[in-house]
Amino acid sequence: MTPHFGLPEFGFLLRGLQWTVLLTLVAFAGGCTAGLAVALLRTCGHRSVEWITRIYIGIFQGTPLLLQLFVVYYGLALTGLKLDAFVAVAIGFTVNASAFLGEIWRGAIQAVPRGQTEAAMALGLHYSSRMRDIVLPQAIRISLPATIGYLVQLIKGTSLAAIVGFIELARAGQIVSNQTFQPLLVFGVVGAMYFILCWPLSWWGSRMEARLAMAGQR
Amino acid sequence: MQDQILIEMKGVQKWYGGYQALRDVDLTVRRGEKIVLCGPSGSGKSTLIRCINRLEAIQQGSIVVNGHRLDDSIKAIDVVRQDVGMVFQSFNLFPHMTVLQNCMLAPIRARRISKTEAEATARKYLERVRIGDQAEKYPAQLSGGQQQRVAIARALCMQPKVMLFDEPTSALDPEMVKEVLDTMIGLANDGMTMICVTHEMGFARQVADRVIFMAEGQIIEEGAPEAFFRNPQHARTKQFLGEILAHH
Repeated sequence: MTPHFGLPEFGFLLRGLQWTVLLTLVAFAGGCTAGLAVALLRTCGHRSVEWITRIYIGIFQGTPLLLQLFVVYYGLALTGLKLDAFVAVAIGFTVNASAFLGEIWRGAIQAVPRGQTEAAMALGLHYSSRMRDIVLPQAIRISLPATIGYLVQLIKGTSLAAIVGFIELARAGQIVSNQTFQPLLVFGVVGAMYFILCWPLSWWGSRMEARLAMAGQR
Repeated sequence: MQDQILIEMKGVQKWYGGYQALRDVDLTVRRGEKIVLCGPSGSGKSTLIRCINRLEAIQQGSIVVNGHRLDDSIKAIDVVRQDVGMVFQSFNLFPHMTVLQNCMLAPIRARRISKTEAEATARKYLERVRIGDQAEKYPAQLSGGQQQRVAIARALCMQPKVMLFDEPTSALDPEMVKEVLDTMIGLANDGMTMICVTHEMGFARQVADRVIFMAEGQIIEEGAPEAFFRNPQHARTKQFLGEILAHH
């Protein structure tokens, strides 16, 4: 006899949701940190460093995320480094996010008017202060809509982690659906959970964008 | 006599790729001297002053500021930038900081003075450019003339030995030009060494010790304002003066 979709099944989905959120947070935090480094290297003014970063970004934007997860999970295992599924996908998503966020922020850094950097240089401010006090605060504001947009993509993208056996929300939904034969109901609930996570972020992002557009007109 | 010289440029050559922006420029500026640089657009006058604080690198020649030779080393660039203040055509105030924060940042970060001291200095100079009551506002809340006066105060907070002005009134509405020029005249009267790229010939007559005319990256002619305006020697200078004075 097959079980119906009830509280235990819902609880199982909630645990999947928990993992989705956790994976997103880890990947986003790691991606932000590494992405900042990528963006700074990409705009540092040294030709060779900028090229290496460009290639790094190119590789991770130009190959499927799925493939990158395979490489981290199965590839590293072959070298003797056996990683827990969560650790493996967290590394995979972090590296991938660093390339995308790095490229978003590279654009934002370059969108800060050149005069800002020149004024800071003329005042005798060093690179670290120019970045921290002048360029990055303005670049972050400029990049906020795109960064939030990427975060939304990341939340939904974590469903790919299922491929290496990591049970997050989408995979949990698949399991419950297979047990209960109620795919419409189960995937409906799963979809609603994703929506509740993503929609407020999207809304916040577009509001930010509108507000920035208004500030730009002033 | 040596100490009297604040800036010395010798044989300066500057290229942008194949385009030569400065050709064999020699310029000596004494302490307290006020110099107005003029010339048609693309003549290299902005480039010249931007080389003095190394916003632009030169390919040949030498620049010495306050006894420090400007080379590619970070230390030399640092030392020189501490002595040189600059005001830009487009103000370049930091939009995410208040007027007061704009003025306090560099003294705290580059001169490493305390916040209290930086604030006192900032308020003093904001008062001096007659904008002390706007200290808590953001740049976007001020008029162009007010923003440019803030930019002057911000540069003064670093207590520079010389101030460079790169067309400081060109982006302003006509009714705001005077308040900025008055601030600059006040600064000149206090004895500040100044190099101003400007087309304000009234200002040049009133404060300049020397007017320098540039064309095609070269210094063509220079002289005291009266002689320069009354009796220019070169055909290029005559033509240029004829063009700009016709509008004034």
